[in-house]
Amino acid sequence: MSAYRELARGLDSAASTRSRLAKVASLAAALRPLEDSELAAGARLLSGSPFAEWEQAVMSVGWATLSKSAASITGWDIETIGASARAIGDAGEAIGLLLPSAVERSEPVTSPLEIRDVDERLRELATKRRAADKQAIVEDLLRRSSPLEARYVVKTLSGGLRVGAELATIEEAIAEAFGADRESVARAHRDCGDIGETALAARRGSLDAIRFRMFHPVGFMLASPIDNPEEIESELSLDVVEDKFDGIRAHAHKSGSRVALFSRTLDDVTAQFPEIALALAAVPGQFLLDGEIVAWKEDRVDSFFRLQRRLGRKAPAVELLAEIPVAFIAYDCLVTGDTPLFERSWSERRGELERLAAAGGFRLSAVHRAADAAALESLFRSARERGNEGLMLKREDSPYLAGKRGRAWRKWKKALATLDVVVTAVEQGNGKRAGMLSDYTFAVRDGDRFVNIGKAYTGLTDEEIRRLGARFRKITVGRYGPVRAVSPEVVIEVAFDTIQKSRRHKSGFALRFPRIVRLREDKKAAEIDTVGRVEEIWESVQGGGTGKIG
Amino acid sequence: MTDTAAPHLFSREEGLFLPAFQAWIDPPAPAPRAILSHGHADHAAAGHGEIWASPETLSIYRIRHPEWRGTARALAWEENVAGEGVGLALHRAGHILGAAQIRVEGPEGSTLYTGDFRRSESRTTRPAAAPRADVLVMESTFGLPVFRFPPRSESEARLVAECRRAGEEGAVAIVLAYALGKSQDAVLALTEAGIPTVLHGAAWKILPAYEEAGFSFPLSRPYASGPAQAGEVLVVPPNCIRTPVVRKIRKRRILYLSGWAMREASRAEFDADVLLPISDHADFDELLAHVSDVAPAGIRTHHGYARDLARILSRGGRKAEPLSEGGERAREDAEDTDMPAPKRDGGQEAEPEP
Repeated sequence: MSAYRELARGLDSAASTRSRLAKVASLAAALRPLEDSELAAGARLLSGSPFAEWEQAVMSVGWATLSKSAASITGWDIETIGASARAIGDAGEAIGLLLPSAVERSEPVTSPLEIRDVDERLRELATKRRAADKQAIVEDLLRRSSPLEARYVVKTLSGGLRVGAELATIEEAIAEAFGADRESVARAHRDCGDIGETALAARRGSLDAIRFRMFHPVGFMLASPIDNPEEIESELSLDVVEDKFDGIRAHAHKSGSRVALFSRTLDDVTAQFPEIALALAAVPGQFLLDGEIVAWKEDRVDSFFRLQRRLGRKAPAVELLAEIPVAFIAYDCLVTGDTPLFERSWSERRGELERLAAAGGFRLSAVHRAADAAALESLFRSARERGNEGLMLKREDSPYLAGKRGRAWRKWKKALATLDVVVTAVEQGNGKRAGMLSDYTFAVRDGDRFVNIGKAYTGLTDEEIRRLGARFRKITVGRYGPVRAVSPEVVIEVAFDTIQKSRRHKSGFALRFPRIVRLREDKKAAEIDTVGRVEEIWESVQGGGTGKIG
Repeated sequence: MTDTAAPHLFSREEGLFLPAFQAWIDPPAPAPRAILSHGHADHAAAGHGEIWASPETLSIYRIRHPEWRGTARALAWEENVAGEGVGLALHRAGHILGAAQIRVEGPEGSTLYTGDFRRSESRTTRPAAAPRADVLVMESTFGLPVFRFPPRSESEARLVAECRRAGEEGAVAIVLAYALGKSQDAVLALTEAGIPTVLHGAAWKILPAYEEAGFSFPLSRPYASGPAQAGEVLVVPPNCIRTPVVRKIRKRRILYLSGWAMREASRAEFDADVLLPISDHADFDELLAHVSDVAPAGIRTHHGYARDLARILSRGGRKAEPLSEGGERAREDAEDTDMPAPKRDGGQEAEPEP
């Protein structure tokens, strides 16, 4: 039996290097000595969760439980725990630093934490409902942890190891640890939805024996955007053209009478869309489809804003189901019967998809072809007229690259006209940009007032964000928790997908998917766009046009 | 607005004031008479009329402000200065060369203002003294229990080993360290190990003050004499990380020397390969030890986690509260409270000057 300490060491040494190869080597070294009986759990813990993806289980430990447990074990008050986590920027690191080392502890340390113990106790969390029960488990784990172990136990509980090792890195480490082929490891993991089972099979040389297992989230094949019109010409070699739907991307698994819908975030969203599940359940056979959940009205796709009202509701009311019906438009087929089709060409998969579609139960995305740029432009216009976002261009001979963004699929959506806006408030970003003032709230002009219209997170380089951060600190005029209100001076240009009426912002409008295009240091706040201009763009969108005006 | 911060010490909009001496402590704006705890720019502003400070701090101030024409009054350690029935003396603060704590004593009682301080010793500083006082006005930059630094000797050994390893791999080790204090200490550790260093201009120009104090830098040269070669260690302030000085070195190994290196997040902020929690400030344990040795009846905390440390001390049965003062607020605002790493630790450096 191996100590959890060894995994924690492996993770720590992966965290302390920026080299991907070195990370892989550290993780591989942590995996190699594990016994067969604990290898699966070990590999899953290295990937940040005790659960396989197919289990769809969550530990649900909130900050309140975590901080109370930490307070009870470290002896520090909750406020100090919170301030420490903020100062360090990570709850796991902070609690690890607050935990007295073994020699400083008065109570005798029980047996060292084994991988099996951590696995069992973390799994137990998913079975407990009461906060007190969860707290008891977390306290037990912390009491038995060294500072280093506590660091990674808490990171696992708070949903991110943050050692710069994604699943692909763990797959690579498994390949390296057991002399397996990286592609085979990735395929096996994709098919069984369990990095643990994959690791064990890699050691036993039985990766090929892993068969596709339904009902676990599989990575989505992603398209890279076409940014400028010149690219269109060269992308004409991409063979087929489909509308790009404005909905929620989903994988639909169906076997027997069971249906599951997984979103891009790999969450199970089946319960939100009972009518889709019901319709798919009636389709004969076992299959896995890739497609889009859209709001549906009469015989066309309805706006995303209507769909939004259906999102996040676990059990939508009957009235809502009637008011905003939804539909599943399929555009790919990844499994039929027992046969995974990932490695087959788009054409073959399309053949299977059309065969399944004959039975009804879901809608089929129409396929077009374009001989030249003019034809493509005309397809784009009709897609927009149908209320869709733009076009997808796909290569006929391409396999389905789960979880990868490649050039075999391209997406083309023209941005609406951009707006020049002024930043009115800033706050710190998360993840890679934690600690940087990277989230901006911005406003348009309404006479001599500024009214907020949106908030954007990305688009500038780290360097720009840093430089602006210093400026924002100088022009801060007030603080509301994490938000700094700033004097309206910094002008930015934002692009967005579309515009809607909204009560969330003072302007009465909200931008969908706003992103910062560039800094407009040449502009003053007095020169930015007005609410009137926003209204103009909004009206053009209502007309079904592309909003490309001005 | 005036608030009695401690015996004989007042907190005013413009900063801390000693009425008995008509003197301001570390005033952020030009003052007729300033008592400077040390030479970092956020404590030693330009343009004062008269300056009282340790001889080392005066040397540093003159190097950094060659245009200064005011009157200097050098105070020896623990030399008593009398004014209107109140006595004043400087005590060692550790921190950096010349850094002083300021103690006043009179009919109202005694006050010890720590300025920035460190109780452990470094190559260029002796430990902070701990004279008794009724009220302790103490910095709390690292006033949370997550900030406990490993022994300096251990971190210095790692510094030397990592720099040596970089050299052996044909890479240039880049040490990110504040120009005044941290840089000179790092250079002395490397010099002792026989490793040559190339110094950023801001750190290089301070060397005469260190040489005056008896330190020598035989293996160092300024960056102005040419970029660092493999085998040499480049010592620059952290804010150089995004400049060509660092960027144009292809094969590099970056070491970040700061108390903030306790945060794993600083690895990304500074592209650091190695995080070395070496600080010129007291860590949490040293703050508590200082309270215990000075044995004050009351404590006023300021800088950094003032509120948190005051709460922690209060829960421990001490009478403690954060100090609020105009000058203090101005300084806290200028500081980078969200991403503390590049600034707080005496991050006074102007734009990098290669």
